[in-house]
Amino acid sequence: MKLLTLYNRVNIITTVVVMLITGIIYYQAISWILNDQNDKALKVEEDEVFDYVKLNRQLPQVFESKDQQISFAEAPANSVKREFINTQYQKEKNEYESGRGLVSSVTVNGKYYKVLIVESKVETEDLIQIIFAITIGVILLLLLVLLVANRLILNRLWQPFYSILRELQLFNVTENREIAKTDTRIEEFNQLNQAVTLTTEKAKLDYKDLKAFTENASHELLTPIAVINSKLDTLIQTDNFSERQSKLLNDLYGAVSRLSRLNQSLLLLVKIENRLLHDQQSINLKTLIEELLAQLEDIFHDKQITVSTTLDNKEVTASRYLMEILLNNLIINAVRHNHPGGEIIIDLNTDSFTIKNTGDAHALPDDKIFTRFHKSSGSDGSGLGLTISKQICENFNFSLNYQYLLPHHTFIIKF
Amino acid sequence: MLSFVYMKLLIIEDEEGLRESIEEYFTEAGNICETAATYSAAVTKIELYRYDCILLDITLPGGNGISILKKLKASNYTDGVLIISAKNSLDDRLEGLDLGADDYLVKPFHLSELKARVSAIIRRKMYNGSNLLVFKEISIDLQARTLKVHDKPVKFTRKEFDLLIYFIANKGKVISKNAIAEHLWGDGIDIADNFDFIYSHIKNVRKKLMEAGANDYIQAAYGMGYKFTDQ
Repeated sequence: MKLLTLYNRVNIITTVVVMLITGIIYYQAISWILNDQNDKALKVEEDEVFDYVKLNRQLPQVFESKDQQISFAEAPANSVKREFINTQYQKEKNEYESGRGLVSSVTVNGKYYKVLIVESKVETEDLIQIIFAITIGVILLLLLVLLVANRLILNRLWQPFYSILRELQLFNVTENREIAKTDTRIEEFNQLNQAVTLTTEKAKLDYKDLKAFTENASHELLTPIAVINSKLDTLIQTDNFSERQSKLLNDLYGAVSRLSRLNQSLLLLVKIENRLLHDQQSINLKTLIEELLAQLEDIFHDKQITVSTTLDNKEVTASRYLMEILLNNLIINAVRHNHPGGEIIIDLNTDSFTIKNTGDAHALPDDKIFTRFHKSSGSDGSGLGLTISKQICENFNFSLNYQYLLPHHTFIIKF
Repeated sequence: MLSFVYMKLLIIEDEEGLRESIEEYFTEAGNICETAATYSAAVTKIELYRYDCILLDITLPGGNGISILKKLKASNYTDGVLIISAKNSLDDRLEGLDLGADDYLVKPFHLSELKARVSAIIRRKMYNGSNLLVFKEISIDLQARTLKVHDKPVKFTRKEFDLLIYFIANKGKVISKNAIAEHLWGDGIDIADNFDFIYSHIKNVRKKLMEAGANDYIQAAYGMGYKFTDQ
């Protein structure tokens, strides 16, 4: 949920609740005041009746008044309790309005009368209605103003926050871009900005250290690997090895060459990430793929893999060295995870390069295969091939994706 | 007799283990190998003596191998130079080759690969113009990439041709299957430890040579590799 939405929701709910409560109290208060006014008028009328009776010793003449009606009725002595009542006001024959009445009593010449004075409440109610309508109007207007104001204020107020957020989203630890300073007078956002800048700087520094470490470590490893390699080459020149010794030496060779490839891959990865390879040139991918396939022909043959290609002419501007590695990795990958008698289908058109291969009948986890050292069981690779491929693609703004469409594992590069 | 190329080499390498292995691998009848472990030792040697080929490590105690190369070129010495470096950087490679190095080999490498590269450099230097490599009844035209046995042409594929030259350069040495695979397919080849396809290439080379009337010079060596020998 967006901050504004949540803020508006809370704001509006509280406003409406408070307004409703205020409205009810207001209504009650006004009703009470107006009722009180009515009652006072009734009392005045009652007093007038009493005065008249006192003075004239007879009941006053009952005459039609616009908004007041008085009636007298004989009643048993002391049977009437004085009280104010809500009653009906007969405006015309068969036309009633709500009214307020006072029931009282008066004794004239020893006769006991019940006095009923009724006043129309129509005007009072009209007044209440108008006041109520105005109140509702004010509430609605206030809500509207609040909504608009919130939107404006929040958007403006939170602008620095959103720009910091945008910066963070664009942040990439491998890139050299700095987090831009957001200009704001709000202290919290300034602090946030500072914290973000510090954290990202630190992350970049750590990343740089890590890269430097990887590079240095790999470099330092090269020499001992070279020594082992050369000593093995020297060792096999000495004569007479038993079958057992030969097997051991073979295993050693295998391990050393894997170690050395792993090391080369790490160094290459660091180099790509550092964007240290800039031999950009125009490359005809069709020719390159054909060359690479010719190079690997023996291996396809040995593994009885059928390779079919549909290659259009496609030129890209990139490092030839890296493009070779990229395509070679994908092709070798398609061979390594294939089964004898399987097939590889390569498609190249102006938009994309697609390589499909038969293999294990289950999809690979596409969120993991591009991570470092992710290997499927039984893979002899370094676990860096696809990571390198992905990095190379990112380097040239290509996308590299994996799909499993029965029965083929498919890798697609989109240019 | 182009088959017996005596070499005078200078190995400039600070890592003792590697230096010794290279020295041992290259030292055989007629070859002279000298070594230098530091920048100053190397500079002293190149100022005093000339070599057929100098194996030059870039990172040396006391200086940079690139400046040794610059010194050589500034003095117009024609020694062949093969850079052996731990830096597999394209820029370094290009800089080295631009400055006049003949080849560039990245650590780690197989000694047989080094030998093949050095032999190629020396062949180019010593027999300028002649591209003929002769071994007994086999004669190879390196330029035209053709091969004759007893003066009769034999058809070799590109890989078989490379393989034979590689063997001849490493005559008398056991070459591991790994080294052969890396030579023929490059670093890209990390497909399992299945070298069956090497076997079929070697089988073809032997068959073609023997059918053309040459002796069988290629021997399997304890299941580890192969040896090209005239004995």
